[in-house]
Amino acid sequence: MNGEVNRRTILKGFTVGIFGLGGVISLGNFLEVLTFPNGQKVALAKGVILVDKSLCSGCRICEMVCANFNSAGRNAASLSRILLEKEYLGGDYQPKVCHQCADPPCLKVCPVTALQVDRQKGTYARVIDERACIGCQKCVEACRQYFRPSRPRFDVQKNRAVKCHLCFGDPQCVKFCPLGVLRVERSEKGLLVGYPVIKED
Amino acid sequence: MAPSGGWVGKILRVDLTNWKISEISTFDYVPKFLGGRGLGAKIYWDEVPPEVGALDPENRLIFATGPLQGTMAPTSGRFMVLGKSPQTAPTESFCRSGVGGHWAPELKWAGYDALIIQGKSPKPVYLWITDQKAEILDATRLWGLDTYRTQQMIWKLHGPKTRVMVIGKAGENRSRIACILTDSGDASGQGGFGGVMGSKNLKAIAVRGTGSVIVARPKELMEITHRIQSLFSRKSLKSNPYQPEEKGFKYNIWGGGYGRGSLSLLQGELLDLCQDPSSGYSQTPEGCFACPVSCRSHVKGPDIIKGVAFCAQSYMYLESLVHQPEKGYSKITWQAAKLADLYGINAYELMAIIPWLADCFREKLITEEGTGLPLKEIGSWNFISKLLHQMAEREGFGDLLAEGGQRAAAKLGGKAEKLSQMYYPRAGKFGGYREHWVYLGGFPTGYAVPPLALMWVLDNRDALVSHSFISMLWGAAFTIGQNALTAVPEKIFPILKPVMKAAYGSAEAAEFFRADGKSLNWKWTAPVVKRYHEHSLLKDSYIVCDILFPYLFNANSSDHVGDSTLESRLYSAVTGMEMSLEESYKKGEMLCTLERALAVRDGRTRKDDILHDLYFEKEDAGGRKYLREDLERSKSEYYSRMGWDVKTGIPTASTLEQWDLKEVAEDFQRRKILGQRS
Ligand code: SF4
Ligand code: SF4
Ligand code: SF4
Repeated sequence: MNGEVNRRTILKGFTVGIFGLGGVISLGNFLEVLTFPNGQKVALAKGVILVDKSLCSGCRICEMVCANFNSAGRNAASLSRILLEKEYLGGDYQPKVCHQCADPPCLKVCPVTALQVDRQKGTYARVIDERACIGCQKCVEACRQYFRPSRPRFDVQKNRAVKCHLCFGDPQCVKFCPLGVLRVERSEKGLLVGYPVIKED
Repeated sequence: MAPSGGWVGKILRVDLTNWKISEISTFDYVPKFLGGRGLGAKIYWDEVPPEVGALDPENRLIFATGPLQGTMAPTSGRFMVLGKSPQTAPTESFCRSGVGGHWAPELKWAGYDALIIQGKSPKPVYLWITDQKAEILDATRLWGLDTYRTQQMIWKLHGPKTRVMVIGKAGENRSRIACILTDSGDASGQGGFGGVMGSKNLKAIAVRGTGSVIVARPKELMEITHRIQSLFSRKSLKSNPYQPEEKGFKYNIWGGGYGRGSLSLLQGELLDLCQDPSSGYSQTPEGCFACPVSCRSHVKGPDIIKGVAFCAQSYMYLESLVHQPEKGYSKITWQAAKLADLYGINAYELMAIIPWLADCFREKLITEEGTGLPLKEIGSWNFISKLLHQMAEREGFGDLLAEGGQRAAAKLGGKAEKLSQMYYPRAGKFGGYREHWVYLGGFPTGYAVPPLALMWVLDNRDALVSHSFISMLWGAAFTIGQNALTAVPEKIFPILKPVMKAAYGSAEAAEFFRADGKSLNWKWTAPVVKRYHEHSLLKDSYIVCDILFPYLFNANSSDHVGDSTLESRLYSAVTGMEMSLEESYKKGEMLCTLERALAVRDGRTRKDDILHDLYFEKEDAGGRKYLREDLERSKSEYYSRMGWDVKTGIPTASTLEQWDLKEVAEDFQRRKILGQRS
């Protein structure tokens, strides 16, 4: 297991080019499911959003379309599942996406298994079943250990967590980003992405 | 029908004299007055009588968003600043000023549609507004700091996600041409509201909201947004953010021949540096909130002030290009603009003041000794840094210039005043605003276009700030491979015809001079300008972008006809209230009459709707002239179409009644200024 990860961590170096930290490797069919030392198996996501921040204009459409689409018309940056970190005077704009981690810290901590792999839509994204979520925010905390700000977010009004679910396979933020900063990488074989390939962002 | 989205429902009132904060309901004003400019005009009508001076504590400083702010609606980052303007000259009067950037959505998410600031604090303060509450906080330590530094201090206290509207030295010293700035350069410039803010001892307004704005029909909003995006822009090429991925797409006019970031740096030293990847300098697209175009760019480098570059502001010191022609647009050009931003001086005014000073110096009306300025070196860093310093601190001659170019010229009088008319076209008691395409520097340069003259005499500030009309002319020029400066009018008429027909109801309106080539065609001037004003009021009230809406010219379709339904459809999707195009134009007309009433109450009549003689004396590049009789005839037609008295230009009692503006009619009666039924 460790050997595999190390090899891939090196491979990662080749993909960290223009797409920055969203290092991605598409794997052969033998690894569609990652087995962890504790025996838990998590199927790899078949899609992930990649970012080329050098193109970003900081317009925040990605955030707004996400909230509008996924929170039933409640337009708010605080509800967006993609987060734009902006340094306004310096002009440094960084959209932070959910990496759909191979070994998702959020999924593993959820006490009620509200966090699941979306097999139904075929994206294998790590999604929150809103009917099951009890709003304990453990997923938010778990993600924050590695990725800041945490990608799952807390919807105060509804008292439950929300996170990127790749919009049932048709990511709206990607569609609406006017500059082409965001792109989707897909692989039927699964993608080894996020934690533990990258451990911070 | 009650709205089910858009407005968040509360307006915050801050009385700085007594440090009292209260709230009123937005629904006392909307949907009737929409938001932004319409909402602000109504608040102004109710609260700022003509007796109140612009820098008096009793003046109101109004920050108004509209129903679209805080949603994903394209270009919804904007808001309006309104109040009695210290810049309008010689009579202070109502003015509005739009601001882009990212401040407006935060205010909505914090729970407020608008702010009304009144009174004067006994000591310097700033306002901190977050999630349904507001506090007045001590700003003693912020007073005197530049606009960037002040924001950095506030971010330290309230977090970097806080957006701040701030004044610099110029505003603190109550300059009549001070701006209120946010982030790295977005600002409310025209109107001089920075001086109003300074007169209230208010240094900054910091907002941060984590709430939301409800959109009534989210799916529909996405559909319209998608349509707007596909009309306005294409994704960028990976190697070059300024080029569209898809070949053959010409963008909208504000991308035009220039690509995305149309308002970016001009040729020269700085652009060369930015294009050299190893230099450490760069220029990248910079978007206002939710904007698909990003007309502006962010410029940075190791030894320059970082920030956003856009029209007017970054072209403020073009004299430096003449001073050092081999360098073109240089670091000095850029630093001058940024220095004005740091002091919080309206760059657009400087674009009148600097050339006017050069004229006066050439004519020996002012001297280096008398002004304390190195006037021999206009265009140099030495000159501009001294000038801006003097103006911001109101030192020496700068004290006079801080009053604005027109007031300064009036003080000098004689020939100096006469020379200033070149830069300040509107005569009468309600001028004070720099030329903006009226004629001499207009489109196509040197060509007289009758609607531009009528727009100019009627506006409360510089006209043409609503760029829709000019966008069509430019679009047509680009289409036949000409630029705005060299276009030959005859050649663009055929392209403009279907566009003008769709936008203004007449193909003939495209022909702005007659077949003989010698005389101007004024026939369609009044109806075109009336529709232009309706468009302008609407986009400033919903609020969408000044330069992108209404979308009248499509560079990519064969007939070039745009789509003027976009704004009203956004409004309907967000608020859940139907708004047909016809209905929206009626609303625009009503708001236009209300704005006129504000100026009338401050003393404006038909006599003030005039241009200086100079604009009738000069021939344009085709040997044509604006004739005073023609302009006067178009004015009469415009007034009568608007239901204003033709003799005085004052809205009649029946018109005010028709628009349900009884309070205005009653006030006019009391003040004995009501126009006769025409
Ligand atoms: S907040 Fe919801 S999804 Fe997250 S860990 Fe708790 S129950 Fe699971
Ligand atoms: S893919 Fe969908 S859910 Fe994920 S960040 Fe983009 S818009 Fe939001
Ligand atoms: S929509 Fe695209 S350009 Fe705009 S902030 Fe998001 S990633 Fe950047």
